[in-house]
Amino acid sequence: MQKSKKIVILGHFGVGKTSLIRRFVEDSFSDKYKVTIGVHITKKVVEVNADESVSLIIWDLEGTDEVQMIRQAYLLGTHGVVFVFDVSRPSTFQNLNRDLEIVAQKTPDTPLIVVGNKKDLVINDELQILLKDNGIKADYLTSAKTGDSVNEMFTHLATLLNDLS
Amino acid sequence: MSEKDRLEILKDILFTEDREDIDKIADRIELLEQTYNNREKFASRVNPIVERQIDDFAKNIPNTLGPVITETLKREIHNHKDEVVDALYPILGKMVKKYVAQEIKVLSEKIDNQLSFISAWKRRLRSFFGGSKEKELLLNDLSSEKVEQVLLIERDSGLLKAGYSKTETIDEEMISGMLTAIKSFVEDAFNQKNQELELIEYELYNIHIQSFVNYYVAVVISGSYSLKTKDKVQDIIFDFYHNFMEMNLDLIYTSRHLEHPADTISTKLIEKKLAEYFGNAKI
Ligand SMILES: Nc1nc2c(ncn2[C@@H]2O[C@H](COP(=O)(O)OP(=O)(O)OP(=O)(O)O)[C@@H](O)[C@H]2O)c(=O)[nH]1
Ligand SMILES: [Mg+2]
Repeated sequence: MQKSKKIVILGHFGVGKTSLIRRFVEDSFSDKYKVTIGVHITKKVVEVNADESVSLIIWDLEGTDEVQMIRQAYLLGTHGVVFVFDVSRPSTFQNLNRDLEIVAQKTPDTPLIVVGNKKDLVINDELQILLKDNGIKADYLTSAKTGDSVNEMFTHLATLLNDLS
Repeated sequence: MSEKDRLEILKDILFTEDREDIDKIADRIELLEQTYNNREKFASRVNPIVERQIDDFAKNIPNTLGPVITETLKREIHNHKDEVVDALYPILGKMVKKYVAQEIKVLSEKIDNQLSFISAWKRRLRSFFGGSKEKELLLNDLSSEKVEQVLLIERDSGLLKAGYSKTETIDEEMISGMLTAIKSFVEDAFNQKNQELELIEYELYNIHIQSFVNYYVAVVISGSYSLKTKDKVQDIIFDFYHNFMEMNLDLIYTSRHLEHPADTISTKLIEKKLAEYFGNAKI
């Protein structure tokens, strides 16, 4: 049986939300930056085990540096949230824990996955130190460019949502 | 020899080299003074250096200033979307107008082609008795309203519960999400309590929306959408909802609060009903 689940992708602007979805859904990447305006919706069916699959309806929201300003209406009824920051731009994660608190308030009782993207742009050891210094715990470090950990992240979320329902 | 003369001789012996140096330096300074005072000579010396510097600077602009300019532009566009839309609107408007004009021309040609002798005679007869022109009659045929697609959508999440579609369209689940996003945006942006988006016009289609508590129904209609159409569509939606959905609403509602909510009405059954209600509807 196939279930449908709505997930929203949030984060400051330009962190690679659209690119992550594109890598996951179409397995492609572009260096060009096309700002998302409003919201864009895509879908991908993920097999979570031999006889179950989940249809992920992915809401790609326009980025905002003010997490508080995210339109509540877009978050209604969402089953899962992915919060993305850009590991190469500290301004996108300096207030991460505060941002995550706001997100949790806006989407109570909803699984939240924290993703540091663009890992191809930094040196891993230095990144680990930087994250530790900022008190940040990321569930996944990804690169939409190389595809590193992108499928794993979405598949994990799909499995999680399937198990919850 | 006086004391003074002796001193001079001593100086001569001791400082000859220095004096020669001083003379050389004086000459050099004089030459520099000449060059400096003579614009052309000075320019010929300095210009190549300046030019090289400017060249280097120009070459490096993309590297040094590029990212800053791009970043600033992106931010400006991002922060002033309304203004950007305002600026683009007239251009887009013209493009749309041109496109519509083109499409009408194509349509008119199609109609002319269809006015072949045999298929035309019936209409001729009709127009003879009814007094209306052939093209108008055909246009009426083309513009008669039809239900193309019906979607039953969960209100909050925008997830599709069931759908009925006359023709293959793009993914129904994605349309449901998009419609919900548009609906949420409009309702949120105008921030009117209890006001719901009722109609979306999209090129040749009108999408009629009727909201209930947990679900909403979207009906995609082709052809002209008149008040009469709206009335009829609403009637069908209410019939469908009243006769079929409402009696199951309690079940749906209670099941939501169960630990393992059962899928009370199967999607298949709803889809069958949607086809029954909307498939052959005269609107
Ligand atoms: N090197 C590298 N660049 C990336 C990666 N992911 C995204 N980018 C680039 O970063 C820029 C922004 O990417 P988007 O995916 O548009 O970012 P976004 O978060 O959707 O942006 P908004 O819609 O404006 O919020 C683009 O130029 C991408 O090519 C990555 O993993 N590595
Ligand atoms: Mg985007």
